[in-house]
Amino acid sequence: MKKIFSLNEKNRTSVLFNFRLRFIALIFFLVFIIFFFQIFNLSVLNNIIYQTASENNRIINIPLYSNRGLIYNENGDLLVDNIVFQKLTMVPGPHNNFEKVLEEVREELEISDEEIQTFKKSLENRTYKYQPITLVRKLSQEQIARFSLKKSRWPSVKIEAGLMRHVLDGSLYSHVLGYLGQIDIEAINSSLEYKYPLDALVGKAGIEKFYERQLRGSVGYKTIEANVHGIEVREIRTTSPVKAPDIKLSIDRELQVIARDSLKDKKGTVIALDPSTGLIKALVSFPDYDPSLFNLGKIEKLHEIISNKDAPLFNRAISGNYPPASTIKPFLGILGLNEDKLDWRTEIEDKGSFQITEGGRVFKGWKEDGHGMVNLSKALIESSDVFFYQLALKLKIGEISNFLMQIGFGSLTNIDLDNEQSGVVPDKRWKLGNIGSSWYLGDTVNIGIGQGYMTATPIQLAVATSALANKGDAFQPRVVKKIGSEETARQLLYSIKTDSNNWKKMESSLMNVISAWNGTAHNVFDPKGPKIAGKTGTAQISSLSEEEDYSIVRQESSRRDHALFIGYGPVPDPSLVIVVVIEYGESGSSVAAPIAKKMFDHYFSSKL
Amino acid sequence: MTKLRPLEHSLNTSLVEVSFSKKITNFFGDLPLVISLLLILIFGLFVLYSASGQSTAMVIRQSLYITLGLILMFFFSRIKLKVYEEFSLHFIWIAIGLLVLVLFFPAEGYKTNRWIDLGFISFQPSEIVRFILPLAIVSYLTKRKINLSFIDWSVAFIATLICAFLVLKQPDLGTSLIVAISGFLPLFLAGFPRAYLFTLAAFITAMSPFIWTSLKEYQRQRIITLFNPDADPLGAGWNISQSKTAIGSGGLSGKGYLEGTQSQLDFIPESHSDFIFAVIGEEFGFLGIIILLIVYLVIFVRCLKIALNSKTEFGRLASSCLAFIFIIYLLVNILMVVGLIPVVGVPLPLISQGGTSILIHLLSFGVILSVRKEGMKSG
Repeated sequence: MKKIFSLNEKNRTSVLFNFRLRFIALIFFLVFIIFFFQIFNLSVLNNIIYQTASENNRIINIPLYSNRGLIYNENGDLLVDNIVFQKLTMVPGPHNNFEKVLEEVREELEISDEEIQTFKKSLENRTYKYQPITLVRKLSQEQIARFSLKKSRWPSVKIEAGLMRHVLDGSLYSHVLGYLGQIDIEAINSSLEYKYPLDALVGKAGIEKFYERQLRGSVGYKTIEANVHGIEVREIRTTSPVKAPDIKLSIDRELQVIARDSLKDKKGTVIALDPSTGLIKALVSFPDYDPSLFNLGKIEKLHEIISNKDAPLFNRAISGNYPPASTIKPFLGILGLNEDKLDWRTEIEDKGSFQITEGGRVFKGWKEDGHGMVNLSKALIESSDVFFYQLALKLKIGEISNFLMQIGFGSLTNIDLDNEQSGVVPDKRWKLGNIGSSWYLGDTVNIGIGQGYMTATPIQLAVATSALANKGDAFQPRVVKKIGSEETARQLLYSIKTDSNNWKKMESSLMNVISAWNGTAHNVFDPKGPKIAGKTGTAQISSLSEEEDYSIVRQESSRRDHALFIGYGPVPDPSLVIVVVIEYGESGSSVAAPIAKKMFDHYFSSKL
Repeated sequence: MTKLRPLEHSLNTSLVEVSFSKKITNFFGDLPLVISLLLILIFGLFVLYSASGQSTAMVIRQSLYITLGLILMFFFSRIKLKVYEEFSLHFIWIAIGLLVLVLFFPAEGYKTNRWIDLGFISFQPSEIVRFILPLAIVSYLTKRKINLSFIDWSVAFIATLICAFLVLKQPDLGTSLIVAISGFLPLFLAGFPRAYLFTLAAFITAMSPFIWTSLKEYQRQRIITLFNPDADPLGAGWNISQSKTAIGSGGLSGKGYLEGTQSQLDFIPESHSDFIFAVIGEEFGFLGIIILLIVYLVIFVRCLKIALNSKTEFGRLASSCLAFIFIIYLLVNILMVVGLIPVVGVPLPLISQGGTSILIHLLSFGVILSVRKEGMKSG
């Protein structure tokens, strides 16, 4: 190159060039230094954080579930089974365009808005990455066919096998078994020891709910390494879930069938239990429902059940609060004996009605002419109201309510079914708090015949009756006999203490309720049948004013009396307690007692 | 570096002693530079094998480009510097023509109009521009060496803006910025007056709000993501958070070749192209990155040395500009991968998958080696 520039000029540009070159190079080196610090920060200082992040990227713990435990009755018949169905699931990864796929699948398979809503809600609450989320719980044959044609277009959507609960005997055991329903998101989040799948069906009533923990089994985990699309690359380890145990009920098929058949066209409940163990032999509340409708999610039928005014979902046996009426009399009798307010010879005259003071309110007996001279035994056999009005007045409300609470009224029996109610044992404090007025002696008098403010559930009556049958001990009632291979344990609930002589006389009085010609349940007496002790009750729902006549009131069916019967047999070694409550059944003796009689007859004849 | 100095001296002092190593140096040009290039290229092929999900096809394709690139580099290093000086001013028209062409006839199958498809091969004209443009500007300026007027500076400056604008239209923000820098670097090094510099800087500052609004939504999103990558880790921040996770989890010595879980399980998007550095970080760790950067720095330092030793104005400007552009590619890419600058589509030079990128980088080194030869001859 010719030197066309002056030396000065060339030097000047050269100096400037050298300076600017070094300037840029220096900036670059500075940037390198910054970069160096960032790399050092990432891979040395924060290495652990990023290592964890990268592990979380590739490791997925997939929960594995056991099949829900099956349910059998005492006879070994299968009551509840799991059946296989096809469900549609989707795995929305971080980068597949799931909104578009969802829309296409929705259109193709005509998925309901409700299902789409459930899907989206589940999506927001995923518990682990790449969790398959149920889009359609139960695919129809047509949907399966349509999906199969186009499935290659939607690799993130799959048909999977799922299990559904199937109840074999329709509504026969409905109030014992209960039903399943979709789990709430809140319940998933609050369940710490067991991670539910998002589409889990959990027990919502009955033993399905009470034994949810046992029936669901334990969760196992499959740990896999997956790529960015959630596709398994290799399996790291698997912990299988422990198989959920099957449950065996103590319910006897035949007794259950008889009880339910007797309740048809009525409203009410029948409970049968073994007094020596507390095991329930039959439990029917009618009207009832078919749990399969819930388990299989037949929405239209559900609304029908829920809006039915006869409340088929309401378990009258443990949630129904009824006045115990005359069935309370044997217990008050024992209290009177224990408190020395009377003995078996004490007599009063029953003229058909009772007044606390001259000219005061008239408490009528059920028999207008009265029962004449009555002692405790006759008062039980003929069910004298006046006798117990007077006894209650002698006992005072504090003693009565204490005793009734001791024998389980006003509190839960803790039977292994959900939604049990406790009934009411009123006293002064209770009345002031709940009614807002002070206690009158008349209130005490009403308690004497199990009326007024007092209510009890049929299961409380059954437990109290078992104390009569056992002459003292009452055991906690339960419907489950075995969980897996383990028997459930008998538990003492309370014990009534009184003289053995009192027990003997009480039992013979209660037997005479049936066997004596003047007994209120003599209509079911069978000289050749097993020896049964029992007590009838007729619970007034509407208290009659003095001018009103029951024969007029009864024309309105919702004001008719409830019919009750409690009983046990065979004497002297009772193995069955039966409680029958028929709403608006009017008469304990003619409506409730025959049902119990039929069950006793069947049970004892089959035992022989 | 220091070892070579006596060789150069001996070449000047004694023409009788021509050893074997001198012959090699003569043949290849700058030995440390060429060896460093080869090391990175070979290492790059191994990394690409890992990053592409062990695709032999991709590695073979890349090797073909590298071979072609090396042959062209060797060939270009033999071309006299004057030829570049003469022809770059003509070639720049062709390059600009290609930039216009790509906007109207882009290759199908790509989201952006960056490619021209010749049937057997497709390439990015923007890569050619960022190679020709600095050479053309250097040539333009050195030809008017005495008293560069305002007009001369303006012509070069406007040419740069036009090229950058055409690339921006593809749209390719990252490359557009690199094109702009590739045009402005020679201006700056050739002595762009300080008064103009300050005016320009003030102008750009004043225009920055307008630039922000003219950006495309996804480009703005990338800038926002940079400052708050955790705001949307599954959306816009995904790339950055995954590449940082890959590098960070690599630790001091890496998870081992082909053992990087982030890379092998596809958690790093674009792991074979723009984000290949994350694969290196995960599998070779902090130490691997440092060693690789040292090799890159050797290249850089050797190139600067060539520039400083060059006896001609064109030679030193051309070689220094091309070396700087190479390093800018490197810096932009690695800063992007570690989350220090927004995500822009700039590959890691010599390693990322991509034929045009490799060819142009090797051509640049061909020119630089040619500068070295020229310098030696005139000295």
